[in-house]
Amino acid sequence: MTRTRKPGISRRSTLALMGAGAMNVAAPWVARAQAKTIKIGMPTILSGRVAQLGTSSRNAVMLEVDKVNAAGGLAGRQIEMVIRDSKGQPQEAARVARELVNTDGCEWLIDGEASSGSFAVHEVARDLGVLCVHTCSEASSLTADPKQHIPNAFRCVRQGIHDSIVGGSYAASIAKAKGLKKWATCSPDYAYGRDTTGEFTLYLKRFAPDVEVISESWPKLFQPDYTEVVTKILQAKPQALYSCLWGGDLTSYIDQANIYAMFSQMEVFAVNMADYTALTVVKNLPKGIHSGNRYIKTFPATPENAAWGDAYKAKYNEYPTNWSWQNATAVMFLSEAAKKANSTDGKKIAEVLKGLTIKCPFGADGTVTMRADDHTLVGYAIGWGTTIPQEPYVPEVKAGDWKAIFELEAEWKKSKGYT
Amino acid sequence: MTELEAGRAERLAPASGSAAFQRYRDVLIALIAFAVLACLPLLSGSKALLDFVIRCSAYGLFATSLNLLVGYTGLTSFGHGMFFGLGAYSFGLIMQRLGVPIPVAFVATLAITAVIAAAIGAICVRLKEIYFAFVTLAFQMLIHSMILSWASFTGGDQGLRGGIPRPVFLGIDLANHVHLYVASCALLILGLLAMRQIAQSPFGYTLRMIRDNAARASFLGIDVWRAKLTVFVLAALFASMGGMVMALFVSGAYPEFAYWTISGEGIFINMLGGVSTFLGPMVGTVLLLLLNDTVTRFTEYHGIVLGVVILFFALGLRKGLLDFVAEWFAHRRDAVEGR
Repeated sequence: MTRTRKPGISRRSTLALMGAGAMNVAAPWVARAQAKTIKIGMPTILSGRVAQLGTSSRNAVMLEVDKVNAAGGLAGRQIEMVIRDSKGQPQEAARVARELVNTDGCEWLIDGEASSGSFAVHEVARDLGVLCVHTCSEASSLTADPKQHIPNAFRCVRQGIHDSIVGGSYAASIAKAKGLKKWATCSPDYAYGRDTTGEFTLYLKRFAPDVEVISESWPKLFQPDYTEVVTKILQAKPQALYSCLWGGDLTSYIDQANIYAMFSQMEVFAVNMADYTALTVVKNLPKGIHSGNRYIKTFPATPENAAWGDAYKAKYNEYPTNWSWQNATAVMFLSEAAKKANSTDGKKIAEVLKGLTIKCPFGADGTVTMRADDHTLVGYAIGWGTTIPQEPYVPEVKAGDWKAIFELEAEWKKSKGYT
Repeated sequence: MTELEAGRAERLAPASGSAAFQRYRDVLIALIAFAVLACLPLLSGSKALLDFVIRCSAYGLFATSLNLLVGYTGLTSFGHGMFFGLGAYSFGLIMQRLGVPIPVAFVATLAITAVIAAAIGAICVRLKEIYFAFVTLAFQMLIHSMILSWASFTGGDQGLRGGIPRPVFLGIDLANHVHLYVASCALLILGLLAMRQIAQSPFGYTLRMIRDNAARASFLGIDVWRAKLTVFVLAALFASMGGMVMALFVSGAYPEFAYWTISGEGIFINMLGGVSTFLGPMVGTVLLLLLNDTVTRFTEYHGIVLGVVILFFALGLRKGLLDFVAEWFAHRRDAVEGR
C-alpha cells in the first residue's frame, strides 16, 4: 500500500510544540506573578527644550531602583518603572498619569513634571488617591498652600522660597562687605522668574536695608538674543546683578554678556549657575560668579555625595542635574518607607513618609527629612559659592542655615495667608 | 456623508415618503451614537477607554468647530485655540470663585465666550486668507500672554490650581468617572448635532457660497461680514465647550490650553480627517489621539512619527482620511452606475 500523504509533523510532536509555545508565552507572566513586581509610574518631560532634565531624572531613578532591586526590592517586591513622556504639556501629563495607574497597573507615581504639569498630576493623585511623590516642581505653593494638601502626595524637591532666603542672606553679607548698594535684576518673564526675583530682593533688602534695585530686565523665556538686556544693564551701571535665568537661557546670556566684559564690571549673583548643565556648556565661564548650588558633587563635601556623582557619571557619561538628586532622593525615601512599613500599601507608606528622616548623600548634615505638616523635603544641602572656570567649578560653598530658613519660611507662609 | 453625496441622495430620494425620515435622520444617528457610547462602560471596565472618549469629546468639539470656519467658510483660523483655553479658564474660575451650580457656570462661560468672540471676530473677519490667519494668531497670543501675566487671577504659568469643584446637580456627579464620561459624550453628541444643523441650514449653504465666491454672495445681497462674524462666534462657542470638557477632565486649566500649539493640533486634526465631510474632524481627532497615545507609549521620538504621518497625508493622500474614503466610494458608485 502506498502512502497518499507525505508524513508531516506527528500528532505527538505537534502537541509537544504547542505545549512548548504556550510555556514560552506564559513564562514571563508566571514569573511576574511569582516575583510580585511593583510597578511605579513616572510621567516626565523626555522631549522638547527641557528633555535633558527629564532624561537626567529617569537616569537617577533607574540608578537607585537598580540598587533597591539588587538589595531585594521593596518589602520583597522588585520595582518595575514605567516612564513616559508628557512633552511638558499638563493635559498630557494628566492623561499619562491616569493611564499609568488605570491601564498599566502602577501602584505609585513619581511625578517628574515641572510647573503646571506637576499641578495637573497632583489633581490626578487627588482624584485616584494613589501615592504620589513630586520630584521636579520647585513652585512653593504646591505644598505650602493648604488648598493643595492631600494625604497621599509628597514633594521631594528643593523650593524657591528656601533658595531665596539663603540667597538673600548670602548676597546681603557680600553686599555689606563690598559696599554693593546699586543692584540690577535680570530674570525670565514668567511666574518662576518674577516670584523668585521678588523673594530674593525681599530678603536681600531685609538683611541689607540700604540696597536699592535700579534696573529690572525681564527677557522672555527661551529668548535667543540678550544684547538689549546686556546693554541696558551696562548703561544703568549697577554694582551687582541678580539673575535666575536657567539652563540654555543662562548659558547664552553669559556667552553674550562676556562679549561686553560684563562680569568684570559688577558682581553677578546667578542662582542657577552651579549646575553641570550650565557650568559645562558656557564657553568661557567667568571666575567669581556667585551661585546657589543646584547639584554639584563637591557640595556637600562628603565622600557619599562624590561617590554618587561619580557613579552617575560612570553609568551615563554625564554629570547629574538638580533634578537627578531630587529623583534619587525620592526613591531612597520610598525604599526606606517600605522597609519601615514592611509593606507596599500606598496608605501605609504615606503614613510612614510623614516626618521620615533618612540618611542621604544630599543632606546638609547627611540626612534629609520629609516634613510632616506640609509633606515637603527639608534639610537638603543648600548654599552659595563662587565659580572658577574649571572643575570643581565651585570649590567652596557656604552652607545655608536651616534654622534661619525655617523661621523666615514660617513668616513667609503667614504673609501669604497659608498658615 | 459628503456634500456631493448629500446632493445625490436628495436627487435620488423618492419625493415625499422618506422626507420626514431625511429630516430626522441626523437626530436618529445622534441618538444611536449616544446610546452606543453610553453603553460602553457596561461592556468594558477599562477606565483608559473612558478617558480616551472624554478627550475625544473635548478635541472633537474643538476640531469640528474649527472646520465650520476652515471647511465651510474658508476662514483658516490659526487662533481658534484661544476659545478652547477661554472655555477652560472661564469655567474653572467661575466654579472655583463663585461656587455656582455647574449648568450656570456652563451657560455663563458660553456667554463670556460669545462676547469676547464677537469683539475679536468683528476685527478679524474683515480680513481674508493669510491676514485673517495671522490676526487670529495674534489675538491668541494676546490671550495667552494675559493668562501668563495676570497671575493673581489666573495662576500664571502654573495654571488654575486646587482642582475644580464639581457639586452634584440633577443627580449628576461629575466627580464620578462614569458620570463625567456620559456627560462628555452627551455634550459631544449635542454639539455635533447642533453643528450639523448649522452646516445643513440655509445659513450653512450661505457660508459655502462665501467660501467659494464672497463677491458673488455679496452681490446677491448677503451681508458677508455679518455671516462670517456669526459663524466665528458660533464656532467659538463649540470650541469653548471642548475647553470645558478638558477642564473637567484634568480638573484645572493651564496656559497651554490657550497656546498656539492647540490651534496647530486643531488644523492638523482637520488635515488628518478631512475638511470636506462633516465627520472628517471627528475621525481626525480619533486618529490623532490614537496615534499620540500609542506612539508615546513606545518612544520619546514621537515627533518623527507624527511628522511622517503628516507628510503621508499631505504629500501621499493629499487630503484627509474621510475625504479619501468618501471619494473612493463615489468613484466606485460611478463605476457601478456607468456599467
